[in-house]
Amino acid sequence: MAEVRLEGIRKAYGNLEILRDIDLDIRHGEFVVFVGPSGSGKSTLLRMIGGLEKITGGTLRIDDKVVNKIDAADRNLGMVFQSYALYPHLSVRNNLAFPLKMAKMKKDEIADRVQAAAALLQIEHLLDRKPRQLSGGQRQRVAIGRAIVREPKVFLFDEPLSNLDTELRVQMRVQIAKLHKQLGNTMIYVTHDQVEAMTMADKIVILKDGRIEQVGSPHDLYHRPASKFVAGFIGSPRMNFLPCKEKGSDQARTEITLSDKMSRWLPIQTTSSKGGRALTLGIRPDDFVAPTGMPGELVIEIDVDFVEHLGSATYLYGTALGDHVVARSPNHHFPAGNAGRVSLAVSAADCHLFDPEGKALTRLEAPGSWN
Amino acid sequence: MDFTRSLTTRIVLNAMVLICVAVLAFPLVWIVMMALKQQSDVMAWPPSFVFTPTMDNFRVLFDAAQAGATSYGTIKVDFLKPVINSVVIALGAVVVSLIAGVPAGYVLARRDIPYKEDIAFFILGFRFAPVLLVVIPLFSLFQSLGLYDTYIGMIWVYQVVTLPMIVWLTRSYVEDIPKDIEEAAAIDGAKPFRVVLHIVLPLLKPGLIGASLLVFLLAWHNFALGLMLSSTKAPVTVALLKLLNPGIQFYPVMAAGLVVTMIVPVILIVIGQRHLERGLTFGAVK
Repeated sequence: MAEVRLEGIRKAYGNLEILRDIDLDIRHGEFVVFVGPSGSGKSTLLRMIGGLEKITGGTLRIDDKVVNKIDAADRNLGMVFQSYALYPHLSVRNNLAFPLKMAKMKKDEIADRVQAAAALLQIEHLLDRKPRQLSGGQRQRVAIGRAIVREPKVFLFDEPLSNLDTELRVQMRVQIAKLHKQLGNTMIYVTHDQVEAMTMADKIVILKDGRIEQVGSPHDLYHRPASKFVAGFIGSPRMNFLPCKEKGSDQARTEITLSDKMSRWLPIQTTSSKGGRALTLGIRPDDFVAPTGMPGELVIEIDVDFVEHLGSATYLYGTALGDHVVARSPNHHFPAGNAGRVSLAVSAADCHLFDPEGKALTRLEAPGSWN
Repeated sequence: MDFTRSLTTRIVLNAMVLICVAVLAFPLVWIVMMALKQQSDVMAWPPSFVFTPTMDNFRVLFDAAQAGATSYGTIKVDFLKPVINSVVIALGAVVVSLIAGVPAGYVLARRDIPYKEDIAFFILGFRFAPVLLVVIPLFSLFQSLGLYDTYIGMIWVYQVVTLPMIVWLTRSYVEDIPKDIEEAAAIDGAKPFRVVLHIVLPLLKPGLIGASLLVFLLAWHNFALGLMLSSTKAPVTVALLKLLNPGIQFYPVMAAGLVVTMIVPVILIVIGQRHLERGLTFGAVK
């Protein structure tokens, strides 16, 4: 069992506050991803859990034991660094054996465990090489092997894939996810890549400016972002934001007008009864469909000025109602390079609304949660 | 590399290299030749480049039993003693500097301590100061402490020469080791002392070998400290001076002494060339 509990965690260098009010529960066996733009404090938070950074305030517990003052060496963790941080003077075998030697394990047990870890990661043929004789992907595997060999309570990953090329990154992503299934350990993973977060995580923690913006499953974050920031961060291409005005509301709906003065009802609960507020309408590029003429859909005219063919999808870049918009074309065979005006529709149920502070209004017809 | 140099350019470039070599090597060749000559050959004018070499000068240098009798007079030298002194002092100074300087350099590179930069600069400051600055006050101090003319005293005072270099070189080598590697070791269960022992020191080894060679040579060549603070424990550099005789000038014997003095650094440089270059250019560990 390994649970990690953060209560009111704070980090400051002098007067400069890096992280504040971090409250988070990580359950045993969970794969948690910290994601956020650079400077959001995600790596610092991971390093605090690892014992590499002092905790300025708050309590950090691993298995109900307060570890604020406990040395990194005694926390029984495994960590994979972005730079791999292999010991350059040791062979792969001795790199893997190092944590076990530090734990004063017996020689034959060390040999067994190294062998098992190497087999798991398919690096048995590399055991006698030095790190500098390995490729990036192989180094990555060794780094993971070194982290798992001691069977630590919690694994920490600090942007482990960002030095790999795209193809290898996808492979390793799958392998790490598989490893998590096999080992069933608690894993905490830091990345700035929202695709990695979406594909690997049980739980995503989105950080912004040293604060937790939202915690939830990938599905929840995609369909029920708590704020405009989360909505824009999760999902690729980015969500489109269009300014609109709140005109009226009833219990389960909000009426908005876009800059074309047409009013539309959305199944979203407003937080104000007054109306007249400036809101932001959010539409994911993938939610555009061909207009059917049915009620409950928003038809939006887009002046397309660029078309991007990805093979599996076609994205249209253009302007709608005075703002830049990206839309996935419902028609795969959109003529390449063809500028012009197209009408696309979005179901009202797929729309997002954000208040002037950037907080999301509750979507009543969003897809239900999986867990 | 440029392979398209014209023949003239190549000849000119090679000629310039040859001139450099000639200028640098001339005194060395001259001294070596002199050491192998008889006194009469040394005094001959014009200087002869063809002569019967003799090892007699080296015999005189080390031959305490026959009291250094030469065919043209007697010179009382025992050159073996100062050579041993120099080895003991220089080696001792390097070892002490490593023991004291490597931890200091590590801390200056990695730990946040108050006035870190000032401390580091203070240590380096000893390299800027003329050695005589410390020698004169130390002379009376050493006499009253009973350190005058002792190996311990000499090794201690040689730290002025060797310690700042070791501290500064160690600091820059440690800074070249990615911090991640030490952090990985900490996560892997190594306490700070074991991180240094198992990870940092092995990575520093090539650099430290080079640095040790470098400071050994600095210590070997030092003159002022030995001149002022020792007599029977004087190093070779001082012993060479004592060959200057108010009576007859034993030039070939002096030359032999010089050759002996030079031979140690030359051997070290030849053996340790690879490490020495590494010591000066030690960089990316990755």
